[in-house]
Amino acid sequence: MSRRIYLDHNASTPVHPEVLAEMLPYFGERFGNPSSIHGFGREARAAVDAARDRIARFLGVRADEIVFTSGGTESDNFAIKGLAQARGGGHLITSRVEHHAVIRTCQWLESQGFAVTFLDVDEHGMVDPDDVKRAIRGDTIGISIMHANSEVGTIQPVAAIGAIARDHGVPFHVDAVQTFGKIPLDVQALGIDLLSFSGHKIYGPKGIAGLWIRKGTKLVAVQHGGEHERRRRAGTENVPGIVGLGKAVEVRAQEMAGEAVRLVALRDRLWDGIRARVPEVRLNGHSTARLPGTANICYRHVESESIVLGLDLKGIAVSAGSACTSGSIEPSYVLVAMGVPVDWAMGAVRHSLGRTTTAEDVDEVVEGVVPLVEKLRAARPAGVA
Amino acid sequence: MRYSATLLDHFLHPRHAGLMREPDGVGSEEFEGCGDLARIFLRVRDGRADEVRFQAYGCGPTIAAASVTSERATGRRVEDLVNVKAEEIEAALDGLPEDRRHAATVAAGALRAAALDALDRRGGAR
Repeated sequence: MSRRIYLDHNASTPVHPEVLAEMLPYFGERFGNPSSIHGFGREARAAVDAARDRIARFLGVRADEIVFTSGGTESDNFAIKGLAQARGGGHLITSRVEHHAVIRTCQWLESQGFAVTFLDVDEHGMVDPDDVKRAIRGDTIGISIMHANSEVGTIQPVAAIGAIARDHGVPFHVDAVQTFGKIPLDVQALGIDLLSFSGHKIYGPKGIAGLWIRKGTKLVAVQHGGEHERRRRAGTENVPGIVGLGKAVEVRAQEMAGEAVRLVALRDRLWDGIRARVPEVRLNGHSTARLPGTANICYRHVESESIVLGLDLKGIAVSAGSACTSGSIEPSYVLVAMGVPVDWAMGAVRHSLGRTTTAEDVDEVVEGVVPLVEKLRAARPAGVA
Repeated sequence: MRYSATLLDHFLHPRHAGLMREPDGVGSEEFEGCGDLARIFLRVRDGRADEVRFQAYGCGPTIAAASVTSERATGRRVEDLVNVKAEEIEAALDGLPEDRRHAATVAAGALRAAALDALDRRGGAR
């Protein structure tokens, strides 16, 4: 196989070389436990504090409002269960296109006696802030809406929702795993109270993430044990991961703006290249309010897994919008919520570009997709899907 | 890679893909639940499948299974094709992951249906 092309940056990203370099000593000579009072421990504590400060400056928040976790999923669980359990009962508002870490946490809370409203979205995958306002009840204890959707990239009207939440005195959680370090994010201006973010989507390591909790937000811990993270999240800190997340944020602060402009151009080049040469394709998600590097494309009459496999064999990594497990296939719940017809949704493929993606890569993907889709369609029985 | 080299070869280079005009037998099989579908066309001469073509919709294994089925069926007696089992197709692909076994079931089912159709049209006993 010649060179490989990776267009799955919404799934994960390679660790930036500068991030890796900064992490390495913390696997080796600086291995101490931050809770220890000796020199080794103090060294580790200083590194954790420095990373927390970097992230706090990036977000424009206080360092002591940031809690490190093991991943975006834990951050979402902590935010939503922490809010719910601090109140003991009540009503939550979320949407049908959230990450499973939010949807399934809310469903579990439903089984525990909480009420949950799952808001519909429009054809672009966008939540209507007026729907949020209408859904608020006297016992609403929290609102959780993602900043941008990982599958289609649609950016939600978070500022409008934040203003509504603030007017009603309801805590507002935002899963920003797909936007943190990619597009500007001002938690104060957006009216956010809790923010989930992650390391491995922004060229940091896996296994490290965070939850920003606005001071004064009533939240209980969901993981108990030691006194770590100001008693909000027990467990010895992942020091190399935290150092890596801190460095990743520093790099993103420098690269993010320029990269977003570059990725929008490449993303549009990809879509323009495909739609010019492949009939019956559609671009999913909002045309402008969309993550810079995300292009979710439906190839009608083709099953997405066969495109992923065909491109993989050419050394190109993309991801399927539908998943076939044990002989039963489900189109993406996000596309279904957006009203995308099933015969289109079955052929959804997500291309997510990143900092190393080049115009040459994009052109090669187009060259790979065109004959593949043609061949798959040629073998398709008429009248199927 | 979770798929065999044989499977990937048939997926990348399907044998006998496409429609057959005026076949002597045609049959389809769909796997309920995932919607994967294979259709097999037979051209019969002297009681044997002289030419076999397929169409398929689905995941890579389903396309590969239909392709390998068309290859294996060519030249065999139509009566024999009624009895081709999914296991034979799976073996011809050098195995399938557990969650993709339906690919062989769909292809074998389509072949069986096509063979039965050819026998029906010929008016011969099964």
